[in-house]
Amino acid sequence: MGSVRAEFIKLRRSLSWAVVVLLPLAAVGSGGGNTALSGEPLADGWHTLWLRVVVFYGLFPLAVGVAALASLVWRAEHEGGNRNALMARPVSGLEVAVGKFAALAALTAAMQGVLVAGTVVAGKAVYGLPGSLPAEYLLVSVLIVVACLPVAALQSGLSMLMRSFGAPVAVGLLGAGFGVLLVALRADALAAAVPYSLLSRATQVGTGVFADPGPITAEGAADAAGLAAAALVLTAVAVAGTAAVLERRDVA
Amino acid sequence: MSTIITTHSLTKSYGDRTVVDGLDLRVPEGCVYGFVGPNGAGKSTTMKMLLSLVRPTRGEVRVMGRRMDRSTRRELLGSIGSLIETPPAYAHLTGAENMRLVQRLLRLGDGRVDRAVRTVRLQDHLDKRVRAYSLGMKQRLGIAMALAREPRLLVLDEPANGLDPAGIDEMRHLIKRLADDGITVMVSSHLLDEVDRTATVLGILGGGRLLFQGTRDELFSRSVPDVLIDTSEPERAAAATEPWGGTLDEGTVRVPGLDHPATAEVVARLVDARVDVYGVRREDRSLEDVFMDLTRGRGL
Ligand SMILES: Nc1ncnc2c1ncn2[C@@H]1O[C@H](COP(=O)(O)OP(=O)(O)OP(=O)(O)O)[C@@H](O)[C@H]1O
Ligand SMILES: [Mg+2]
Repeated sequence: MGSVRAEFIKLRRSLSWAVVVLLPLAAVGSGGGNTALSGEPLADGWHTLWLRVVVFYGLFPLAVGVAALASLVWRAEHEGGNRNALMARPVSGLEVAVGKFAALAALTAAMQGVLVAGTVVAGKAVYGLPGSLPAEYLLVSVLIVVACLPVAALQSGLSMLMRSFGAPVAVGLLGAGFGVLLVALRADALAAAVPYSLLSRATQVGTGVFADPGPITAEGAADAAGLAAAALVLTAVAVAGTAAVLERRDVA
Repeated sequence: MSTIITTHSLTKSYGDRTVVDGLDLRVPEGCVYGFVGPNGAGKSTTMKMLLSLVRPTRGEVRVMGRRMDRSTRRELLGSIGSLIETPPAYAHLTGAENMRLVQRLLRLGDGRVDRAVRTVRLQDHLDKRVRAYSLGMKQRLGIAMALAREPRLLVLDEPANGLDPAGIDEMRHLIKRLADDGITVMVSSHLLDEVDRTATVLGILGGGRLLFQGTRDELFSRSVPDVLIDTSEPERAAAATEPWGGTLDEGTVRVPGLDHPATAEVVARLVDARVDVYGVRREDRSLEDVFMDLTRGRGL
């Protein structure tokens, strides 16, 4: 789609890349750093390192990061005559919404890539762990990216509506808090309909924290598949909603 | 000549404020349409309705024979280029990247983009970031982005706003070149002077209403300049012409709104009153004066 290619051109020299690199590195630094400072060894090697880095990251920094990325990709559209030009082209609301979403999905995937790479480097260089990050965490990483998609789609819609950079990010932070609460309370049915909950839940898969049963079993894999399916449905709803609003709303 | 834009009682209200009020625009195909009105007259709002960026409260817009609304906008916008309010462009990208973006988005061939860039004479500045562009260059880039789709109609909202005299002149030439290529150009300004030499048809907007629509000559002919009378006794002359609205203006009597018979009557009245009449003439009026009278609500 032309709008997707156009959005990727807009990502050049974008500030978004700073978020993509710095946020996961900060998570690796703080999660791994605490452990290094306390001088305690990693009880269960790579598993413990992953848990310390990723679970905290999934409580709110990740959702806030995705929200900031959404604000960043929409920021230029609120400047000067860009919104007028965007909507005065022979391009549908759906194409615009999908273009933005695709850019955000790519940034989110890149951010997860940095997180994994950072964790591996920390594990080897700082703790001298044997081998490498267990392959199951690569699958979990894919799941985390999938679970970020509805948050990205929803935040994209909010950032389309709000000129302010901070307001949608604040909504993202509140959403993350609410999402974590639902997960902690084990309100599973409700959590499956809340994008921020899916994101948090995905970062806990395989760690035994909160609702997570720990080591991944066949049953756990089925849960993960359900989580991914819910994420994709919510994503489609959020993108379609953004497209419909774009199509209907007047350019102020 | 066919019309490319027609509106019927086009109206926009925000709350209980009507900012565009019952416009019946007729923009002939192939013309340069100068859309002129003071700040806040409703030019941008009207243009946004022409593009379906803003939905009318009442009335309708027809472009190229079809009703323009949210369900038809995509098809129609393929033949309409526009620049509304401030020029678009992504400041962190270069001119070339901005053009490429439009090219990818609309799936255009390289030839179109090159032609658009050359038309606005920006080919030597494409590798600079837009952040570093002058306002004139931003305006030209915005027009190039609109031209790349090779539109039949170009809607330009105050493209000369903020430009220096050389930039304004360059913009005039650009609009002429576009019109010579057969593109209908609708261009707005708050200064009549800026468009009256390029526009073949004028639409004058004031307080949301269309005060005049027609050619420059029609605008002139419809307005009657004041009659100025030099006499031996200005005070008495002013008193004698009071029934016609005569007033004293720096030693000369000024009478507004007189046609030829009325002018003759006034002169006869002065002669009866034994005032020596030295000279009777029409005030020299620029189109700008006519425009000011119109938009101040004095009418023609
Ligand atoms: N979204 C909006 N909400 C409320 N009022 C609006 C809105 N958009 C425009 N207006 C009002 O409508 C009036 C006309 O505005 P518009 O921008 O169309 O005028 P304009 O002729 O383009 O003026 P300018 O020469 O300053 O650009 C103004 O009084 C403006 O305040
Ligand atoms: Mg305006």
